[in-house]
Amino acid sequence: MNPLLFALFIQASETTAQGPLSRLQNGPPLSTFMTLSFLLFILGVAGVLTRRNIIIIFMSIELILNAVNLNMIAFSRYYQLAGGGNIYTGQIFTIFIIVVAAAEAAIGLGIVIAMYRNRETVKIDEIDLLKW
Amino acid sequence: MLHPGVETYLFYLLAFTALIMAIFVVTARSAVHSALFLISTLITVAGMFVLLHAEFIMGVQILVYVGGVMVLFLFVIMLVNVKEEETESARIFTGQQWPAIILVFLLGAGFLFSMSRLRTDGDTLSNSEKLAAVTAAKARVAVVAGGGSHNTQEVGAALYNQAALPFEIASILLLVAMVGSVLLARGRRQEKTLDGPPEV
Repeated sequence: MNPLLFALFIQASETTAQGPLSRLQNGPPLSTFMTLSFLLFILGVAGVLTRRNIIIIFMSIELILNAVNLNMIAFSRYYQLAGGGNIYTGQIFTIFIIVVAAAEAAIGLGIVIAMYRNRETVKIDEIDLLKW
Repeated sequence: MLHPGVETYLFYLLAFTALIMAIFVVTARSAVHSALFLISTLITVAGMFVLLHAEFIMGVQILVYVGGVMVLFLFVIMLVNVKEEETESARIFTGQQWPAIILVFLLGAGFLFSMSRLRTDGDTLSNSEKLAAVTAAKARVAVVAGGGSHNTQEVGAALYNQAALPFEIASILLLVAMVGSVLLARGRRQEKTLDGPPEV
């Protein structure tokens, strides 16, 4: 691992704001972004596990994917600040995640429409034909 | 040029908004409200991308997510049209609260564990080493910071130089998704026209 990136990473996880590396960037440390991303992620997980409406479950999945995107972009930015090599890899990953999310939403909502036509419901506990 | 501390205040404002809106996404009774709150979350996350100097991703987020995916969601909500859910007595949660709580706490424990390991194990660099690292990085950032943002240009160049094959695969994925969603969402009359008369 790049020692410079490592130093920045350690600094980002420290609670004190007075370290020498905190003056490098004006924004909040990396750990703050990771915490926000984590909170969005667990909200999405809670939505997927507890909601009955399948469309809201899809929206929670979008929330999870966005949390991952935020994490990717934050790491990309702090890697850039640390003078890393391929600084746009995180952003390219994010573009592909957005592409896959769009495809997933189109297919998933197509399935929802097909299911609503056959079963007249979007409640996941009423769609239990494969449950034993 | 922004005041040095203003990015932090903007970050906390956006983060607070995003979290509140995300809570409303999960707990809103009507699916339409949920979709509108999700749009707010996506826009605040886009604002955070600006703070992280990823302007192109911000544009993609607004255009693709807010303009494309969420409009698709709203169309499907209108097609499916569940009125029953909006009455106060209807159940909006499955009975899976306990598995959800356990999983969330496990994830939280894992997150805190990994973050605390990072904090204790890593501080092996001396202060002078850190300072040298900062000076070198500052010099590099100063070179990058001159002039306006070239984010879109550089992301495009990186996309075509380093990720040309995944880019082509993504186009095939989108084609398959397009054909698949047309096939899945067609109506009964279209099915009959396409499949021809039933064989005897």
